[in-house]
Amino acid sequence: MDKPGPQLVHLADFKPPSAARAWVSIPNPNGLPLIATATSEKTVRVYSLSNFTLHSTLEGGHSRSIRSVAWKPSTQDNGELCIATGSFDSTMGLWRRKEEGGALRAGGSGEPLELEVTRNGIKHDEEGSDDGEDWEFAIVLEGHDSEVKHVAYSPSGQWLASCSRDKSIWIWEEIGEEGDDEFETVAVLQEHTADVKCVSWRAASSYKDEGEVLASASYDDTIRLWREEEEGEWGCFAVMEGHDGTVWSLEWEPLVSVKRFDLEDGRPPRLLSSSADGTIRLWSLAPAAPSPNKPSYFNSGIPSTMRPAPAAEKWICTAVLPKVHDLPVYSISWSARTGQVVSTGGDGRVAIYEERKREPAETEAEPKPEETAESAKPSATTEWVVVTILDGAHGPYEVNHVTWCPRYDAGKKSADEELIITTGDDGLVKAWTVEGNPIES
Amino acid sequence: MSGREMDNANPTILSISELPSRRRKDKDGVDGPEDFGIQAIMMAKPSYAMDPFYLSDYSDTDSDDSSLEPIDEQEVYDLIAPISDPEHPLSLASLGVVKLQDVHLTSPSDLTNPAALTRVLVELTPTVTHCSLATVIGLGVRVRLEQALPPSYRVEVRIKEGTHSSAAEVNKQLGDKERVAAALENANLMGILKKMMKPCME
Repeated sequence: MDKPGPQLVHLADFKPPSAARAWVSIPNPNGLPLIATATSEKTVRVYSLSNFTLHSTLEGGHSRSIRSVAWKPSTQDNGELCIATGSFDSTMGLWRRKEEGGALRAGGSGEPLELEVTRNGIKHDEEGSDDGEDWEFAIVLEGHDSEVKHVAYSPSGQWLASCSRDKSIWIWEEIGEEGDDEFETVAVLQEHTADVKCVSWRAASSYKDEGEVLASASYDDTIRLWREEEEGEWGCFAVMEGHDGTVWSLEWEPLVSVKRFDLEDGRPPRLLSSSADGTIRLWSLAPAAPSPNKPSYFNSGIPSTMRPAPAAEKWICTAVLPKVHDLPVYSISWSARTGQVVSTGGDGRVAIYEERKREPAETEAEPKPEETAESAKPSATTEWVVVTILDGAHGPYEVNHVTWCPRYDAGKKSADEELIITTGDDGLVKAWTVEGNPIES
Repeated sequence: MSGREMDNANPTILSISELPSRRRKDKDGVDGPEDFGIQAIMMAKPSYAMDPFYLSDYSDTDSDDSSLEPIDEQEVYDLIAPISDPEHPLSLASLGVVKLQDVHLTSPSDLTNPAALTRVLVELTPTVTHCSLATVIGLGVRVRLEQALPPSYRVEVRIKEGTHSSAAEVNKQLGDKERVAAALENANLMGILKKMMKPCME
């Protein structure tokens, strides 16, 4: 307690910034030191994580804001980058770029190689030929009736999910050879009663032998889980109600946390959600039998034939993280390395949380806050604590997105050090280190 | 929008003298926001100046030295009072949609912190409880304030309780940043908003 607590320290701003609102920044999942930022300038800016400068730009494919961006998980070592975009113009785009001289490595184990790839990319910039032409706008995916809010590749790369203000979720599959640019609509899921804000995939085999599972969050305040029930037939198998406002983002529990807290051997990963109600909730599969869905606020007026079938799994809220935000919580990220959670939102705050095992004696002595009372029981063996809070991460501006991200720059202190990357209404993307993090010691 | 029947063909209109204003007392009443005369049209600024996105600072609304003092309710009211109703050529203030007593400001306790946020809540009173344009009016008020106030101001626009049949839906929509952002990229809606904002620029 006497030592200074852990704190977020500003490391760098990515340069040059967007002149208008930046929505989200997604690190490359294949071990490349690149991060892609979707902006309301109708572009995606790809920045280098080695030196925090612009690597390349995707432009010309959309007529309105690009709201979301997803890297395709690399399935083969073909030296190609692939990005999917979702726009307010109601279309999605697929973009490709040949990365000269550098082969991509699935899994990203060869570190020197990755750095070499980046150097090539940077050299490319310096030659002045990087004007965005090297990203090819390969294909436009049409189908949604209005703004596309989020796009996400499944971890295997097999599926691409998109969701929209039109209340639907589409699941797309690339057919044919890589680069043929042929997509098939595998499913159109329409059980949400309002805008679907976010979709998030759970990896296959993270629970029993289940395939990839999709979670969705909506303006109707609910969260739904979807899976392929039969060949080509996707269905909703769980509905989570509890938030008192739009659910903005979702994160599945990483393996490191499942292992640490797998107390009732063989539970599925838990799901974390953040909402306009200012809370972050943790959801777990209940051991009990499923109960019929309660009609939600938005269900009034929906014909009964369109109501969801009884859920096959019951998921319940097992914890509410300590409340530090008093405006919508737009984004959360769950570190795959440490299991720590970071959140941000309209109040411009960035907060880090950690789940800890509770001492058995404490369980009785310390009553949970009121709002967790109904559902506190299953999580009584752990508690969530705030590690650190930073106010005004982007000055007076709202922060739209936060993510943990591997560190690649020269100042890196350990092989697997992570940064926090925030994206704001000021168009800035900022990198932060966590100094004095207790989990490191 | 044209050709449809008005929601409220005969609204109650307040006269200018009934509207709260500080400036009228300070100056000589030359800046009446209800000036819709030919002169105002002739003197209108070019259209880019009416683009809410273009107006990224707030110097145009208050050229006096008020930037040294904290912004108060009256100033917030003055920013939105002249906004024109999309249905009538009348200001939101004269229709009683915007009222000074329904503008609420919550300032941060620590004024030295540049990141400290000020909360602005504006409650609107639609002219009729089924007004289909409540969302557009609310959007206009939110956009006007977000463009005119410093970025540390968080604006919330709500329908006053009990004055609209679908207030909860309208409130949720007006509070959704993503929906508001998307609406501002809709050319038709922007056309309506620009018309509504026109009196603010004069």
